[in-house]
Amino acid sequence: MRALIAEDSVLLREGVSRVLTDAGIDVIDTCETADELLLKVRSYSPDLAIIDIRLPPTHHDEGMRAALEIRAKHPSVRVLVLSQYLELGLAMQLLADSADGAGYLLKDRIGDVKEFVGAVRRVAEGGSAIDPIIVSTLLSKRRSEDPIDVLTPREREVLVLMAEGRSNQGIADVLVITLRAVEKYVSSIFGKLGLPSTSSDSRRVLAVLLYLRA
Amino acid sequence: MLLLFSLGAVGFAAAGASIALALASDHVTHPSTQSALMVWAVLGYILAGLVAWWRQPDSRFGLLMIAAGFAIFLSSLTWSNAGHPYTVGIAFDLLPAVLFLHVFLAFPTGRLGGWFVCSLVVAGYVVAVAAQLVGLILGGFGPNNVLALTSQPDAANSLLRVQLVMLSVLMLAGLGVLALRRRAAGRPLRRSVALLVDSFALVLVMVAVLFLSGAFGGITGQIAFETVRRATFFAIGLAPLAFLVGLLSARLARSAVGDLFIDLRSDPAPSELRDALARALRDSSLTLAFWLPEFGTYADLDGRPVELPPSEGRATTMIERDGMRVAALIHDPALNDEPELLEAASAAAGIALENARLHVELRARLEELRGSRARIVEAGDKERQRLERNLHDGAQQRLIALSLELSLLEEHLEGDPDATAQLDEARREIALSLDELREVARGIHPAVVSGHGLAVALEQLTALAPVPVRLIVAIEGRLPEALEVAAYYLVSESLANVGKYAHASSATVEVNRTNGSVVVEVTDDGVGGADTERGSGLRGLADRVEALEGRLRIWSPLGGGTRVRAEIPCAR
Repeated sequence: MRALIAEDSVLLREGVSRVLTDAGIDVIDTCETADELLLKVRSYSPDLAIIDIRLPPTHHDEGMRAALEIRAKHPSVRVLVLSQYLELGLAMQLLADSADGAGYLLKDRIGDVKEFVGAVRRVAEGGSAIDPIIVSTLLSKRRSEDPIDVLTPREREVLVLMAEGRSNQGIADVLVITLRAVEKYVSSIFGKLGLPSTSSDSRRVLAVLLYLRA
Repeated sequence: MLLLFSLGAVGFAAAGASIALALASDHVTHPSTQSALMVWAVLGYILAGLVAWWRQPDSRFGLLMIAAGFAIFLSSLTWSNAGHPYTVGIAFDLLPAVLFLHVFLAFPTGRLGGWFVCSLVVAGYVVAVAAQLVGLILGGFGPNNVLALTSQPDAANSLLRVQLVMLSVLMLAGLGVLALRRRAAGRPLRRSVALLVDSFALVLVMVAVLFLSGAFGGITGQIAFETVRRATFFAIGLAPLAFLVGLLSARLARSAVGDLFIDLRSDPAPSELRDALARALRDSSLTLAFWLPEFGTYADLDGRPVELPPSEGRATTMIERDGMRVAALIHDPALNDEPELLEAASAAAGIALENARLHVELRARLEELRGSRARIVEAGDKERQRLERNLHDGAQQRLIALSLELSLLEEHLEGDPDATAQLDEARREIALSLDELREVARGIHPAVVSGHGLAVALEQLTALAPVPVRLIVAIEGRLPEALEVAAYYLVSESLANVGKYAHASSATVEVNRTNGSVVVEVTDDGVGGADTERGSGLRGLADRVEALEGRLRIWSPLGGGTRVRAEIPCAR
């Protein structure tokens, strides 16, 4: 697994690089600007690019623009965006077409090494990683006669983990239940919300997110 | 005045005398026609000259015209049957032509200007009077010549021919001078002036033709020559008529200044003042510039700075009151031909202009105030942006790195549950600090707005709102940053108020464009009755919106929900 890191803070660039290397992920190069990143994506064709959303020179949206460009021009390169601020709109922008091989995490998540490495692996393998706060923000949107209300507490937990991009196995591990139980919850949730069931983990991420956002 | 009247009386007497001379003459072929033309020319010049002199006593132009009139009269003495008057008439016979040249070239100041023009006129006098005396002495001009010392009429005739040719050349040279002056002016003359100069040119041409036909076609007796002479006399009389018409039209223009007084009685607004002045000066292109001493510049009606002098092809007339600069009229250069009209109109508009200047000064101050308010908001935003970035780039990165370090440390301490638990606790603390930091940073400046645009930023805002919010953003691409930030704060503050006071069940946030403005509207279905002066939140929003030349309005009828609507001009 080959990864590229674009991050302008030395502290975090080195930290992330070390954490991933320790986890057996090959960090082939790091860079500080979006232009450098795009150049290296073209020449190295990595499996994954981890991108700080704010990059020089203006620290506005250079990182996000680079991420969207990579998604459009190099579909084989998976993209994990790290953001300083929590923005539903940004996450939805990144996932506009699909959640396959895409992730949006708050930078804070780097601190939890195990979780972070897990998310990196999921995205690199074509899955997705959506920051839990994004999901809970969506869930906090109150609406009248919300079908979400008919979900059991356990089903809600499963829904949140699903929306974060976890696989059934991943959900089973977190909740410490069997894989079969997870599958039961998932089909029950899809039935209650009236969503078409889907085989791919990342496709169901988008389905759930769009359902919650609507 | 007495002098003017006596000169006029003398002029009429002279005209009468020349009629008498013509009727009594034994060598005038058509006494009535010739005397009528004589009176037409003599009275025309004398009367026009008197009017010119009366209007501008300092100018020699009027005197020159009067002199020309009397010179024409003197030439009619040639009709006399007696020797002495006849001889005097002959002596001054050619003088009127040179006086015409003098008058025309001295228009309008009475001065000739330039050695070339002076020498043309001096040469004319020498040829017309001195050479004529020589001809008389040589014994030309028939038996009634009392000055003849010798009897060489052939020599006198030859001399006369040379004189006539030379005078024709001088006339044509004068015509050239008039044409050159007209071209050098580089702009069309006012109509009345153009008419006058045309009549000058006609006279010069006619006199030249008359003299040339006299020199080469025999001196007297031929029908063709007589026709040319009559046409010339008629043309000669046209010039003073054109002069009087010009004066009349200037007089009419000044009566428009009288209307200006009436227009200005009711303290007009600056733009009405401009229109009134434009009417009085008959120049629809007129613009005004007011002097603003505090700003050290001229400004237009809207208080915006104006560069003076203006572009080419425009003229400026400065207006002062009590030695203080007040305003400048920027007008068609052709108006410079009527300095009196300009002066009269400026004087009439004096107080109104001073009032208008105060209006404009006030407007300029407002303009400046608006600019400085926008600058203050902008400077505040810049500073907040800087703070927000420092928080993100400094404290946040360090806390994240610290949490990372703790996480790595934890891996080395596996098997020590106490230490692991303490590290977990520390990492939770850091996570909380990061959450708080993010909230603080967002409160200081919504970085996502400048980074990713209003539409992206509103998504999070509405998702977190205390009631379900329908979000409609009907704008493509990015808007100016100041506008986006203002719109963001407007929605943020309005949704916060919805949560605090409205008891609403839902709200709508709509951003769209109408007529060159961006409209941001937040509507809820709550209890209404919002106090628009409540807290500093809405007041601060109004400041932001107004600094962008926009308008913030709030409708909040009791029981009818609340609608907050900002309209901010936006060209792109």
